[in-house]
Amino acid sequence: MTLSLPDRPGQLLKALEPIAKNGGNIISIVHDRNKVSGEYALVSLIADFPSKESFRETRRELEGIGISVVKSEEVVAKEDLTVIVIGRFNLDKIVGRGLRIIDVELSNPSSEKPCMKLHVEVPKEDVKGFYNLLHELAEKEKALIITPV
Amino acid sequence: MKLLLAGFGFIGKNFIRAVNEKITLLKSVDRDFKVVGVATSQGVLYSSRGLDVDKLSRLEKASQYGEEFEFGGSVKEFLEEGAADIIVVATPTNIETGEPGLTYIRTALKNGVDVVTADKGPLVLEFWELTRLAERNGRYLMYEATVAAALPIFSLYRECLQADRIIRISGILNGTTNYILSKMFFEGTSFELSLKEAQERGYAEKDPSYDVDGIDAACKVVILGNSIMGKNWKFEDVKRIGIRKITPEAVELAKKSGYAIKLVGVVDDKPEVSPRMVPLRHPLCVHGNLNAVHFETDLAGEITVIGYGAGRETVSAVLNDVISILRDRTRNV
Repeated sequence: MTLSLPDRPGQLLKALEPIAKNGGNIISIVHDRNKVSGEYALVSLIADFPSKESFRETRRELEGIGISVVKSEEVVAKEDLTVIVIGRFNLDKIVGRGLRIIDVELSNPSSEKPCMKLHVEVPKEDVKGFYNLLHELAEKEKALIITPV
Repeated sequence: MKLLLAGFGFIGKNFIRAVNEKITLLKSVDRDFKVVGVATSQGVLYSSRGLDVDKLSRLEKASQYGEEFEFGGSVKEFLEEGAADIIVVATPTNIETGEPGLTYIRTALKNGVDVVTADKGPLVLEFWELTRLAERNGRYLMYEATVAAALPIFSLYRECLQADRIIRISGILNGTTNYILSKMFFEGTSFELSLKEAQERGYAEKDPSYDVDGIDAACKVVILGNSIMGKNWKFEDVKRIGIRKITPEAVELAKKSGYAIKLVGVVDDKPEVSPRMVPLRHPLCVHGNLNAVHFETDLAGEITVIGYGAGRETVSAVLNDVISILRDRTRNV
């Protein structure tokens, strides 16, 4: 994100506090003194946050202390997961829950024990929730979910 | 020290054979070491002078030894009369009552007798009662053979990871199911056919539920959790799914994605035994009837122990426990 800080000593430190408080880990920071516009200086930084919520809370707190966020961009870390499902399983129930289905492979679909390999991309912070959802749905449908160790 | 063996089945007989093979080593640790008794469901074989382990190691039944065998004799009485200093419990596992091993262990500890058990039933049912009983009476209660047989799990933790916090333990804890799943993986056979072959080879019982429904692995998860993670788990606390539903198609789909399906026991906040996908390059991905136990710790990182989790190799763990006790008890004599 890019912050616009009053060009006075101590302002950068003040801006970093909400980031640290919300678990942000700063990867890079550029404080460009050549880009001072009037009484403000621009600071661009890249940070890792534990969740989308912690990033948004940081933005709210920055604005609350009078630091304006000129530009911000979220890149959500995702995880590639492969699971196997043995038994009947309705894919519709997991669609639209923040995950992206990359690939589905079926084997023996018309038999009593159909088998499906599901390859999905899930936001890292939702992995646990995704597994819980799968197990919950599988229990209802009497299917067996096999997840990676 | 005088040793009494309870149980003369597969483990008991192989234990006596190993004692016979390693008698020089045992005597070098404790020159007074002798096997004074063998208890079976039929009675007790006893000699205060010590039994001839060479003769005993060639017998099918303890009763064939000679007139020293007393039909109907009771282990309890022998323990209460101070006939032994150490008991090796190699009785069949019963996870509903823990008997007869549970009574033997209780009686031994109350009467100042050190215990080495290969029978996991008593530990699954009464781990903390027995541990406290041993502590109160200043006795050893050792059970290396109860989880993954010959693999050094508890001794590794006790001796080599003293400063580590164990975050998680996962393992292939049952050789029979690993044999079945490996057969399905390499030969594409069905669960039923693979089980049949395991039974023909003597790896699986006629009633295979103890293995294939994850009961055996869940018992081991309970012992690992209580002993290493300080939990107070009972068998019912373990979420358990066996391997009966695994199809050759599922095994094949997993294989194409770089995984093998294995029955994995997990010891962390939620104890569980279930079929899991293990990456082919993961250290837990062992085949045949091998076992593997994977520790995740705060200092050492990851450690995996691989080896045979059943069969005559089990006596390695039993004998190691016995030697550890002999060394300690004879140190200041």
